[in-house]
Amino acid sequence: MISILEANYKVPGGKLVKVKLDVSSGKITKIQIMGDFFLHPEETILTIEESLLGCHKSKHSIEEIIEHTINDSDATLIGATVSDFSKTIMMAWEST
Amino acid sequence: MDAFRFIDLETHDAYINMAIDEAIMLAIKEGNAPPTLRLYRWKPSAVSIGTFQGMHDEVDIAFCKSSGIDFIRRITGGGAVYHDYNGEVTYSILMPKKHPLARTDIIESYKLLCGGVIRALYYLGIKNAEFKPINDVTVNGKKVSGNAMTRRHGCMLQHGTVLLSLDIHQMFTILKVPQEKISDKMISDVKERVTSIQDILNRSVTIKELQETLARGFSDALNIELQTGKLSAEETQTAMKLAKEKYSTDEWNFSR
Repeated sequence: MISILEANYKVPGGKLVKVKLDVSSGKITKIQIMGDFFLHPEETILTIEESLLGCHKSKHSIEEIIEHTINDSDATLIGATVSDFSKTIMMAWEST
Repeated sequence: MDAFRFIDLETHDAYINMAIDEAIMLAIKEGNAPPTLRLYRWKPSAVSIGTFQGMHDEVDIAFCKSSGIDFIRRITGGGAVYHDYNGEVTYSILMPKKHPLARTDIIESYKLLCGGVIRALYYLGIKNAEFKPINDVTVNGKKVSGNAMTRRHGCMLQHGTVLLSLDIHQMFTILKVPQEKISDKMISDVKERVTSIQDILNRSVTIKELQETLARGFSDALNIELQTGKLSAEETQTAMKLAKEKYSTDEWNFSR
């Protein structure tokens, strides 16, 4: 069974993060991280989303994966943090 | 004093406007264009969304279509903006990453370049405009200018809008404002968050007045010499191609 999940999180003093999530058998099968934050280079968002596919429901490992991808891409995130991203993903996951 | 090419106020549709920005970046990357400041309007009026935003999440597409309002995805992050033909002037400033005005720190970059907008507002008689991190210029806590930056093609681009007048009803019919964004600031009324030059000054200000003060504002605040110029034939050609093959396509605009 696939469930489509969604959450919005307004970062205090920052931007809005919005996550759309498809989950199947406890793993992420599709994810979009959206919002009005800034990420340089912008294409990194696709790499982050791809790197999260197959990920289990763990805030810690989600955060580690995003952190790793951002470091690998030499990317800069502005208006939200990696922790805000993982928090929003967890909020979406728990929104059922 | 550094020289910038100055492309004075032009009016284009959304696709051409965003395509010109990217075409200039590509030309700068190839060493074929100087640092550039351009001013422009949007006709028809249009809504632009940040590169990470969902088109359907942010914009009432059916309303836009029935009202002849264009909708477009920018290459920059940030939020959705309504570009009313009669209510705002947009600027873009572009330079190589190695330019002395292109700071490494992103917030510092915004602050520096937003200085041009703040100076322009000062010349119009608004003495208390301030930079509000991350990317806004505010007056009495209300946003009057939103700005967005990207760094790619070895180039830095910042574009931003300066609100001359504001039709709040129209703006928020077109834009879907998430409740979270409002509730965080404990303000339920959008009128408390956004303002315009005419609202602040309580007088009529023309596009021409804003256009002239923006040019002078950027020139003075950044200590740059504006040399009136235009796009090269190559830039125009690239812009036409990008407008047709990228910015006007559903594939780009509805990619999220």
